[in-house]
Amino acid sequence: MAGIGFELRKLLRRDSYTGLLQAYGFAGIISSGPWILSILGVMLVGIISIGRVYPEELIIQFLVSVTYLMAASLIFTGFLQLMFTRYVADRLFEKKGDIILPNLIGALTLITFVGGLSGLFVLFVFFDQNIKYRLLMLSSFIVLNNIWIVVVFLSGMKAYRLILSVFFIGYSTTVIASIALEIFGLNGLLAGFLIGQTILLFLMLSMVIYEYPGKQLISFDFLNKKQIFISLALTGFFYNFAIWIDKFIFWFNPVTSEQIIGPLRASVIYDIPIFLAYLSIIPGMSVFLVRMETDFAEAYNNFYTSVREGDTLEHIEQLKDEMVKTIRMGIYEIFKVQGLTVVLLYLLGSKILEWIGISPLYIHLFQIDIMAVGVQVLLLAILNVLFYLDFLIMALSLCFLFTVCNAVFTFITLELGPQFYGYGFAIAVVLTSLIGLGFLSKKLDRLEYETFMLQ
Amino acid sequence: MKQWKSVLNSRKSADIALLLEGTFPFVSGGVSSWVNQIITGLPEFSFSLVFLGGNRDFYGDYKYQCPDNVVHLECHYLMESWKDKPPKPYKGNKDVFNQVHKMHEGLRSAKHLINEESLTTIMNSLGKDNALSREEFLYSEESWEQIKEYYTKYCTDPSFVDYFWTIRTMHAPLFILAKIVEKLPAVKILHSVSTGYAGMLGMMLERTRGLPYILSEHGIYTKERKIDLAQADWITDASETFGTSLDDDVSYIRRLWIRFFEGIGRLTYNSTDPIISLYEGNRLRQIDDGADATKTQIIPNGIDIDRFTLLREQRPKGVPPVLALIGRVVPIKDVKTFIRSMRTICNKIPEAKGWIVGPEDEDAEYARECHTLLESLKLQHNVEFLGFQKVDDILKQISLVVLTSISEALPLVILEGYASGVPALATDVGSCRELIEGNNKEDKLIGLSGRVVQIANPEETAIAALELLTDEKKWKQAQAAAIKRVELFYTQKDMFNKYRHIYQQALEKH
Repeated sequence: MAGIGFELRKLLRRDSYTGLLQAYGFAGIISSGPWILSILGVMLVGIISIGRVYPEELIIQFLVSVTYLMAASLIFTGFLQLMFTRYVADRLFEKKGDIILPNLIGALTLITFVGGLSGLFVLFVFFDQNIKYRLLMLSSFIVLNNIWIVVVFLSGMKAYRLILSVFFIGYSTTVIASIALEIFGLNGLLAGFLIGQTILLFLMLSMVIYEYPGKQLISFDFLNKKQIFISLALTGFFYNFAIWIDKFIFWFNPVTSEQIIGPLRASVIYDIPIFLAYLSIIPGMSVFLVRMETDFAEAYNNFYTSVREGDTLEHIEQLKDEMVKTIRMGIYEIFKVQGLTVVLLYLLGSKILEWIGISPLYIHLFQIDIMAVGVQVLLLAILNVLFYLDFLIMALSLCFLFTVCNAVFTFITLELGPQFYGYGFAIAVVLTSLIGLGFLSKKLDRLEYETFMLQ
Repeated sequence: MKQWKSVLNSRKSADIALLLEGTFPFVSGGVSSWVNQIITGLPEFSFSLVFLGGNRDFYGDYKYQCPDNVVHLECHYLMESWKDKPPKPYKGNKDVFNQVHKMHEGLRSAKHLINEESLTTIMNSLGKDNALSREEFLYSEESWEQIKEYYTKYCTDPSFVDYFWTIRTMHAPLFILAKIVEKLPAVKILHSVSTGYAGMLGMMLERTRGLPYILSEHGIYTKERKIDLAQADWITDASETFGTSLDDDVSYIRRLWIRFFEGIGRLTYNSTDPIISLYEGNRLRQIDDGADATKTQIIPNGIDIDRFTLLREQRPKGVPPVLALIGRVVPIKDVKTFIRSMRTICNKIPEAKGWIVGPEDEDAEYARECHTLLESLKLQHNVEFLGFQKVDDILKQISLVVLTSISEALPLVILEGYASGVPALATDVGSCRELIEGNNKEDKLIGLSGRVVQIANPEETAIAALELLTDEKKWKQAQAAAIKRVELFYTQKDMFNKYRHIYQQALEKH
């Protein structure tokens, strides 16, 4: 969506290092988005609580509960994320800004209602913890679901300084409230998390309401048959499912996991390295967003404008070549920046683990995970180009492939033994990205043919 | 009375397939009534009708009763060639596209050659999978490559997207035609009433079934299309310098359409025999457009004389100063010139009457302008708009049929006037001069059956009208010539005999 690209371009046009730094910094925070920041916040709570909350297993219970909340809410809203993003983008293109708010309210209502009911069912059938814990989990699940939908609007907004402050307030409240309520044990930590996330949700929501005023209270137009993109719904679901499936496999394999709270199991050896590794993708994501929203978006626009408005074939072909160049440049830059990050973390990896207080036994897995999540940024970039060019079926196939590969290779690594843990996910990401690149390059070769002949 | 419903898609076989583009039985007017006349006038032959229209919504109910000898009717709408399955990638057949290329190169060459081998390949491939199906034309890579190549080589308009859609839009109907060819119930003779897509359909049938193929042209399709296209506002010109002439400053897209119709016209002329026109002028034009002169032939329209002879006796005595322009109130009839000439006529004969007989709804703007002109010339008491009327009622009251048109073919109203004993005053367009002054030597000897004037010349028109209206002797001479001419050369009986002969000969060939 245009808002952010516009602001990023302004920053870049200043042609100064501070402008550049600001652009990339902002892009990094926006693009890695709430879920990386949540990991950071929750880990921070965990680390601070060590030595203050007894018994220590309560902290683990808290971390695992939140992890499940994240996984469940991301997969659950996966159906709606991309589809709704596309719906909003299309309406903005049609200059029908005033039906966005009613539909956002509609989407949030739907997610709250369906998510609430299914959460209620799961928590009261499979859990036997105290009622407070269950209600806190239910509320947090609903709030997170809502956040993942509202987040869709962030990249469409121009007020990036405001977004940064909202993030800052939301996540600092999460940390502070959790610490403040830690005397109430697990429920206190969870309540703190819920308070912080709720504040974040409503702050973001008020920004959206301010940006897109509506005339109507609620609408479910986004579910209208003509508008609905089943392929986007499935793509969103499979993408999120693919990211989590290896974790679930590790959590529910008795050899690699232990029971933490109620039916929730965790795999300490697998989880900590991967969550740490996810923090490393911020530089890559930042480059990705900047390149995507500035150069590529511009080149893309030029190409399609020339097609629509009756340009010469020669010029159309030239503009396509330029667009392909921006894609190539973008991928190359992600490679450079993320590659550098990976190398740096390889060198510093054991020091970092030591500093955080995590056993150096994890170093091997940590290194594999860093490489894998780095490639995941690349995959995300490829998927985004596919969305832009409307190759939706191909995006869906890739996400489906990612899910299957991740599941299959993770199972295989479980059989092969601990020294192979993490390779399943890594191979799945690399393979999917390579296939995606191959697909993309073939599609781009035939882009004019497909644009004209197969529209 | 036979119902159209009973013949619609009946799939019965017939002697003759009539290929009708945008005319009978859904449109009324010149060509349609001629078709109706031919079918009902030759009851010994059975007819199968293939109607081609643009868009289903443009055509309403049947405008004619179903003749007893029509046994089958099928309707196809060429602009509906798009409503179909979602697109899918195809490779395309290289050999077939090569032949398509050769075909185009031939037609494009200075001599407009028709490459027989390519044409045969294309005809055998059209509409067939893995050859040249509709999908392969629309979606295949081979097709894409050819469009790109031609655009780069020939198109002088910058917009690729306009060129691209023009090529698709003009060719897409051919695939509907291919389907018709495949399914048309058995017939022995093909007869098309125009070139264009109907002519193309006949050519495809002639190629695949080896049937004799007759062409009758009333107007000249390519010429009419040229006028249509010159006025079409759905074509956006790259340069806005487009003037009124049809030469250099016409946008490439317009010329592309014109060339396309000329091309399929050539293919039609190539496969038809005889090629019939209504009068000498059109015959020469056909030859100019690529028709083989030895295959051309003239059969003028004929009318039912008996229907009008009674009217001659019902005429008032003398020469009442009443003139009528019988036709739609549209610019091509140049009604304004008629009104202007009426001013001069009324100056000499104050009681003169000018009637404009025809519907005004086709071009309301133009009709309004005519009314305004009439008022500004203070002709309210002399000139009247009568709307649609029965021709017989009008003809028995008037002394002159006036046609100020800027374009005509062979206007039936002149013949009907002649048969009722009314001379004509017409502009020098289409066959009007032949109709008034005579065509061959024998015809010319009959004398003038009216007057021919320049187009858009109210003064000359008025003078010619006054000459006849004020001199009863001259008028009587013209009347006698008119009656003699129509009875000798333009009778329905004569026309039926000629077509009967052509059909019989074709059947023998079959």
